[in-house]
Amino acid sequence: MKCKKCGGKAAINMRQHNMGLCKDDFLQWLPEQTQKFIEKYKMFTPDEKILVAVSGGKDSLALWDILRILGYQADGLYIALGIDEGFSYSAESQRLTEKFANEHDLNLHVVNIAADYGTDLPMLAKKTKRGRDKPCSTCGLVKRHEMNRLARDFGYDVLATGHNLDDEAATLFSNTLQWNGDYLIRQHPVLPSKDGLARKVKPLFHFYEREMAAYALLRGIEYIYDECPFAEGSTSTQYKELLNQLENQHPGAKMHFFVKFLTAKKKGLFAEPTTEIVPELHICPTCGQPTSAQENCSFCRMMKKSSEW
Amino acid sequence: MKYTTTIILRDKKYEVKAGSTLLSALNKLEILPESIICVRDGELITEDTILKDGETIKLVSVISGG
Ligand code: SF4
Ligand SMILES: [Zn+2]
Ligand SMILES: [Zn+2]
Repeated sequence: MKCKKCGGKAAINMRQHNMGLCKDDFLQWLPEQTQKFIEKYKMFTPDEKILVAVSGGKDSLALWDILRILGYQADGLYIALGIDEGFSYSAESQRLTEKFANEHDLNLHVVNIAADYGTDLPMLAKKTKRGRDKPCSTCGLVKRHEMNRLARDFGYDVLATGHNLDDEAATLFSNTLQWNGDYLIRQHPVLPSKDGLARKVKPLFHFYEREMAAYALLRGIEYIYDECPFAEGSTSTQYKELLNQLENQHPGAKMHFFVKFLTAKKKGLFAEPTTEIVPELHICPTCGQPTSAQENCSFCRMMKKSSEW
Repeated sequence: MKYTTTIILRDKKYEVKAGSTLLSALNKLEILPESIICVRDGELITEDTILKDGETIKLVSVISGG
């Protein structure tokens, strides 16, 4: 297969675009496209301060790399969860994140959950029994809270995450299977800043997972190849596989599924109900983040429960 | 005479017939091309590549969770 730009040998075939590209052209194309979507969706400008949530995986490290290449002011945030499960998952992903930051002279914040709150994530999940056998719901709560906290404490305008199209399509699929209206209304590559929380953006939402893997590989980015031990058999992985089967038969299917959802939304298909009862927001007395509860936010309630265990 | 290409995915090793395309080998092994990228001698290759005798292709799984 030939590269569509230079006619050389293609390194990757993107069937949904009907386009093959060689290494050099692909490495130029992907950041250019990212820039296009950053502008189109008004994600951020060069004078804004960006905090990138980095996990040590291919997507978030690639995102950090791309923002750096495009000349944005992007610092990293690594949240050390203390997940080990026999192969030092957290320790290894932290090592790779720090290595990347050092190599490119980038500024990285590291938050250590066990050091700051006295308990690592798996133990926290056990103590507070949020997830029955998987700590994922606790993990999501902890990550959200800590990202918001760091963004506020250090004055970042924007929080960026490395979600790719496969992530977004799988989430959309899950929310659609359950007709989860609240989530469908909120799912978008840009969430405006609200109630003192930083804007949240997903600059890679248009790229397939396989393009991000190719980018990381071609750029020589060393990332954690094994997935989180708790991700195994998760419904989101199952949905990704299902969507890939569909994609295999109909190139572009998963892209259309998500992109047409965004278009439908723009046209008002998922408008907020006009008579919506907007929950009154309060300020958590412990951490100062907005919450719908009239007391501590769910993060602080969980931490309190854990300390009483 | 048998001409074979070795395909590696994580800790699994497969022997396939050389001379056909990578895509047909993937189909035979029931591996979705969408879920992997293919590397030969450190270089990324497309699925229409013809497999040669004695070479090794490494498949990198792209799905990640967490
Ligand atoms: S899979 Fe791992 S990283 Fe992802 S939410 Fe669950 S515990 Fe957290
Ligand atoms: Zn080219
Ligand atoms: Zn709180």
